[in-house]
Amino acid sequence: MLWACILLPQLAMDGVLRNQPDPNQPLVLLSGPSQRRVLQAINPTARALGLRPGQSLTTAQAMTEGFSTADYDVSEVERWQQFLAAWAYGFSAQVSLHYPRCLLMEVQSSFGLFGPWPRFQARLRSELDGLGFQHRITLAPNPAAARMLSNCGDGVAVTDDRSLREALNPMPVEQLGLPEKAASSFARMGLRHLQHLIALPRDSVAKRFPAEVLLHLDTLLGRRPLAMDFYSPPDIFDTKIELNFEVDSHQTLLFPLRRVTSDLAAYLAGRDSGVLRFSLHLEHRSLPDTVVQIGLLSAEREAAMLFELSRGRLEHQVLPAPVLAFRLVARELPAFAPQHQQLFDQRPQQTQSWEQLRERLRARLGDSAVSGIGDRPDHRPERSWSLETVGSSTAVCGPRPAWLVEEPYPLHDTSLRIISGPERVESGWWDEGDVRRDYYVVETRAGQRAWVFRQVGASGPLMPHGWFS
Amino acid sequence: MSGYAELHCLSNFTFQRGASSAKELFERAKVLGYEALAITDECSLAGIVRAWQASKDSDVRLITGTEVKLTDGPKLVLLAENLGGYQQICGLITTGRRRSAKGTYRLNRSDLESLSEGVLAIWIPGQEIVHRHGQWLASQFPNRCWVGVELHHGADDAQRLSALTALGHSLQLPLVAAGDVHMHVRGRRALQDTITAIRHHCSVADAGYRLFPNGERHLRPVSVLENLYPPALLAESARVSARCTFDLSQLKYEYPHEVVPKGKTPAAWLRELTYQGTQWRWPDGMSEKARSQVEAELNLIEELQYESYFLTVHDIVRFARSQEILCQGRGSAANSAVCFALGITELDPTRMSMLFERFISKERNEPPDIDVDFEHERREEVIQYVFNRYGRERAALTAVASTYHFAGAIRDVAKALGWPPDQVSALANCCGRWSDQVPPPERLIEAGFNPDSKPLKMVLVLTEQLVGFPRHLSQHPGGFVISEPPLSTLVPVENAAMKDRTIIQWDKDDIDALGLMKVDVLALGMLSAIRRCLDMLRRYQRRDLTLATIPAEDAATYRMISKADTLGVFQIESRAQMAMLPRLRPKTFYDLVIEVAIVRPGPIVGDMVHPYLRRRNGEEEVTYPSEELRDVFERTLGVPLFQEQVMRLAIVAAGYSPGEADQLRRSMAAWKRHGGLEPHQVRLRQGMLERGYTEEFAARIFEQIKGFGSYGFPESHAASFALLTYASCWLKCHEPSAYATALINSWPMGFYSPDQVLQDVRRHGAEVRPVDVLMSDWDCTLEALDRRMPAIRLGLRMIRGLAEEVGRKIEAVREMKPFTDIVDLCQRAGLDQKARELLADADALRTLAGNRHVARWEIAAVQQPLPLFGNDEPQDSVAIPAPTVVENMHADYARTGTTLGPHPLSLLRSTLRTMRAKSSYDLLSMSDCKHVMVIGIVTGRQRPSTASGVTFLTLEDEFGMVNVVVWRDLAEQYRAALMNAKLLQVKGSLEDQEGVRHLIAGHLMDRSDLLAGLDVRSRNFH
Repeated sequence: MLWACILLPQLAMDGVLRNQPDPNQPLVLLSGPSQRRVLQAINPTARALGLRPGQSLTTAQAMTEGFSTADYDVSEVERWQQFLAAWAYGFSAQVSLHYPRCLLMEVQSSFGLFGPWPRFQARLRSELDGLGFQHRITLAPNPAAARMLSNCGDGVAVTDDRSLREALNPMPVEQLGLPEKAASSFARMGLRHLQHLIALPRDSVAKRFPAEVLLHLDTLLGRRPLAMDFYSPPDIFDTKIELNFEVDSHQTLLFPLRRVTSDLAAYLAGRDSGVLRFSLHLEHRSLPDTVVQIGLLSAEREAAMLFELSRGRLEHQVLPAPVLAFRLVARELPAFAPQHQQLFDQRPQQTQSWEQLRERLRARLGDSAVSGIGDRPDHRPERSWSLETVGSSTAVCGPRPAWLVEEPYPLHDTSLRIISGPERVESGWWDEGDVRRDYYVVETRAGQRAWVFRQVGASGPLMPHGWFS
Repeated sequence: MSGYAELHCLSNFTFQRGASSAKELFERAKVLGYEALAITDECSLAGIVRAWQASKDSDVRLITGTEVKLTDGPKLVLLAENLGGYQQICGLITTGRRRSAKGTYRLNRSDLESLSEGVLAIWIPGQEIVHRHGQWLASQFPNRCWVGVELHHGADDAQRLSALTALGHSLQLPLVAAGDVHMHVRGRRALQDTITAIRHHCSVADAGYRLFPNGERHLRPVSVLENLYPPALLAESARVSARCTFDLSQLKYEYPHEVVPKGKTPAAWLRELTYQGTQWRWPDGMSEKARSQVEAELNLIEELQYESYFLTVHDIVRFARSQEILCQGRGSAANSAVCFALGITELDPTRMSMLFERFISKERNEPPDIDVDFEHERREEVIQYVFNRYGRERAALTAVASTYHFAGAIRDVAKALGWPPDQVSALANCCGRWSDQVPPPERLIEAGFNPDSKPLKMVLVLTEQLVGFPRHLSQHPGGFVISEPPLSTLVPVENAAMKDRTIIQWDKDDIDALGLMKVDVLALGMLSAIRRCLDMLRRYQRRDLTLATIPAEDAATYRMISKADTLGVFQIESRAQMAMLPRLRPKTFYDLVIEVAIVRPGPIVGDMVHPYLRRRNGEEEVTYPSEELRDVFERTLGVPLFQEQVMRLAIVAAGYSPGEADQLRRSMAAWKRHGGLEPHQVRLRQGMLERGYTEEFAARIFEQIKGFGSYGFPESHAASFALLTYASCWLKCHEPSAYATALINSWPMGFYSPDQVLQDVRRHGAEVRPVDVLMSDWDCTLEALDRRMPAIRLGLRMIRGLAEEVGRKIEAVREMKPFTDIVDLCQRAGLDQKARELLADADALRTLAGNRHVARWEIAAVQQPLPLFGNDEPQDSVAIPAPTVVENMHADYARTGTTLGPHPLSLLRSTLRTMRAKSSYDLLSMSDCKHVMVIGIVTGRQRPSTASGVTFLTLEDEFGMVNVVVWRDLAEQYRAALMNAKLLQVKGSLEDQEGVRHLIAGHLMDRSDLLAGLDVRSRNFH
């Protein structure tokens, strides 16, 4: 058997970069607590500016500007690994994520399908380039050796044990995947390369080092198999792109849309299935996601078609707010043979749920016509509620009318009777919505109760801000 | 009508609630014609002394009180009716604070049950009125309880008023108007909202109903209040205020009694101790001059009744001496013959050729001030002694009210306004660390901000308001207050962040203002080093010296100082100091006093350095503005250098009284932040003109005073420091290896790393021997004692990560029997794996194993000792490669921070020579030269705030150091190289001014790659 190792040296960075319109813009990924952000990863253009991983963000900013930042997200890295494993599954039935940020795959069995190694390798590389992932690919007779060879170079391919020994001999102990402590002990004994370790009597090593050291060396030399779990593809496709700015035009959304639909296509090809329904989730800052459902007449997996279909639906979608992130979820992934039955769901109309009714209303009247209502803690009455349920809060304030007037207008009623007040509200200086008002509860000649105000210190007419029912 | 007194008002000492300082509040109250103003900070009297001073300045009476919220009861305002009431409130606050973590308090109803006559209570009912709270209070405070009515244009004030009136009737409690004041004017509303958000760790936008609905909680004009409250309620406030007759001036401080033996008076006992001391200090009998000085001082002390103060300090110093802890006093009173006799200072007053100012000012009538420095590693023993001797009830540390500086304030404000964290940090980085000023617009633009944008302006305005506000109380490093009765009758005591430390709620200015006694017990690393050095010299029987008996005025020592050969000595070791030494060329002790004081921001900003140097070198005539001022300025050649001189100047030239001069000193320290120098400007000018000085002279003097600002250094401190400077220089000059050893054993301290100290002493010809388990103690030691310059044996303490306990064990076990081999060492010293590896990597097993590689191989095979069987495993015959020179160098630096092998640059030297780089040695033989290139390891980067953007770099090579000056523009251009390079190439021009040599950089380049290239073997795979 021959094993290929695909090392992904900047997986996190690539995961972010591939969603950037211009991957050549300097970009750094940040980790660490908010008081001390540290550069976790950087792209080549950022490196050219003199930035280095491990620097603090403050140092980096002191040195240069004009780079953008994104968060280093461990769960993202995990997600991309899963995604690439699914991709690799299209080339080999034995794919493993045994080592982090790295794909191991048995390839000899696939030579029949994909050609001899040079051609096979070229195909892997071109697809990875297309997907936007930097990589190093090595080939060795055992998976551990393939992995370790990728530490010191790209494209190394050895197919028999003798040349493997030759390739491994000069490798530094730090790069052999030994336990860190053991590697540093060897280095401090002056034993710096694999050939030095192999020359040592086994019992001398056994006396000085934990058993796993000899076991690992044996695995590396192919004297012992590597125990590992193999990848099996999941049944849900779920991918998300964080947009680095607020997008409010459909045109701009087409770029991420093309990305996610082609990712979906790559995934479907890897597991040899199609998709029948999927949904696009557009995330907003304070509103819940806008969800666009896309149903197909038959299971499909062709990238261009998925894109065109989604695009058609997306362009008809009204965007209630700028979009911050873009997500595609596909749950129904039947085998590539189409299944039509699910399209003809024939439940009686009477069983329509409230959600369905709401959706129908929305469809009929428009999305903005139907909404929830909730409290917001703010002393300014016009900001103390919102259309979406935020949660209720108890105000320490007086009676408030349920009906607020959108635009207060002067009330020219000379016979107003003041029932209570003034209640003074002075708040909101921080968002340019500073108000300074004295509120009164008054009764009009007609017996209506109004909630009226006047600017503090002003003497003009009272302005009704709401009516008590 | 009768006036209004505000009875419920918070100052900014209710942290993150009160949005105005006491000064602002009182000034406003004065304008509004309030009869009195109560400061009722929440469970705190931390701001009360400032309030008291503000009250005196504004002539509005202060009522002392506190606001407390009970965990199981109502919110109350407690007011001190008289001294007894004040003491009860102090006790209550102490109780609430001591049982709770730093910065918080917990009080229950039962805690208030002990309060009696003297404490008045105002009940502040919440939104929901709890009737039973009122009943409890009415019974607890008979005839001393009111219902506080606080109307702020809430939902329905009229309804609230009638509800409270009904409540008062039913409980038979009188009603009183109060304001729940959080700020002096409505304009602080935004700041109040902001600090509320800071307190809740959220943004103002998210703070919601935690903000006040409006800005009514300020000091409102009486006419406005008259429209809100019934007259009777306002009149009641004046009645309550009239009952509160307590004033802080009624506090009486009492010195602890135990420092005087029974049956003696303090004066007699001080006299007795002093004359015991003079016999010890002057065993051959004292001079007539000294005797008369002692007598004069004793008389003055007696007259002012400060004996107990001197006795208390003496008691602490006596303890230190008994434990052989080196100490040295400083401050105006410390430089006296009495203090010399008592052992408080080592500075013989007769040694000073110059006349000092009177050591205590009779007119000022404030307690003398003595700070005592102790060895930094042993100060804790002294602190514990004080706590034990006087008990925690009677001794506590003073507080430091840490205040907001610009950077911290802008951070909090920007966060509260919802700025993202990276923006907040970027903004804060535009501000100097301790600056209180708005950063200059260039700096903001540089960091990518638009100074004209509205959001930024909002942040800056709020930040300016917040700067100077106290943010929390922390402990003073060593300022003790000790009293005869429990301290909590004087001032509340609370917990510090450190376990087992308690602090009082006042800081040192508060204590000064009230005339309490304070002793500063400070830590100084240099004392540890000097004590170690003196001990070592005694132990190795080289010399027997004390601080006081180190030979004075030694010519060789001054020669060394004049050459700026002062790496590692006290005070004059910084680069700026070293640059000054060849110009100043100190020849006497007083020259050192000046040297210590002159290289400081005060004289530099006030532009006094160059005039002094010119006059000293005879390039400028020494003149005095007048004959009277000759006395003041003669010792500094007519140039004002010391704080004391500025005060004397005000007295002599402008007719200030000593008390006023002291005021001037305080204003000088504070003007940058608070202003307040203007009255002095008028006063000084007028005074000087009247006494015949010119307008121009008066203006120049005032500018100098401003420049002095907070940085002016007092001569009395400079003199005490200079003594340690001289002592350390003498030791470095005559016993260089012992001194270097002592420095390293006292590390961390000072400016230089052990590596730099060792390189320096090697350049002076001392031999340094490596760490070796067969020879090394935990500390570094001396060997080859018969030589003029003994060798230094590095101690096990040099090994980074090795526990002291392990090192001491090795030392002790070896004492009994030398180690035969590695197994013997590991077993007898009980070394765990980590310790063994550290020793091997540090090459401390060199004699036992041959080299660090073999040592590492061998210790890996040592098993944990088995009790019964000897560990006699056969040695494996494996060829372990010996380390190369470069490998050894890397390992040495990694493990011990220094190497005795070749300096990295000597390994690179041939490469550098082909690159035409000069070494620091080459530079010595060159004079001014336009085009020079050097490459060195960057050991120092400094960008002093006084140097307007200049960066000072220190490069090191195998021969010594090169000082590099990088102008601002260049620094910007080569920022990355400047900040990152370990090995830096500098092209520039060499300048030599009076023996001070600088390389003015014209081009910088990061050459760290050369260092990495040294390590060929481990890099060939990257």
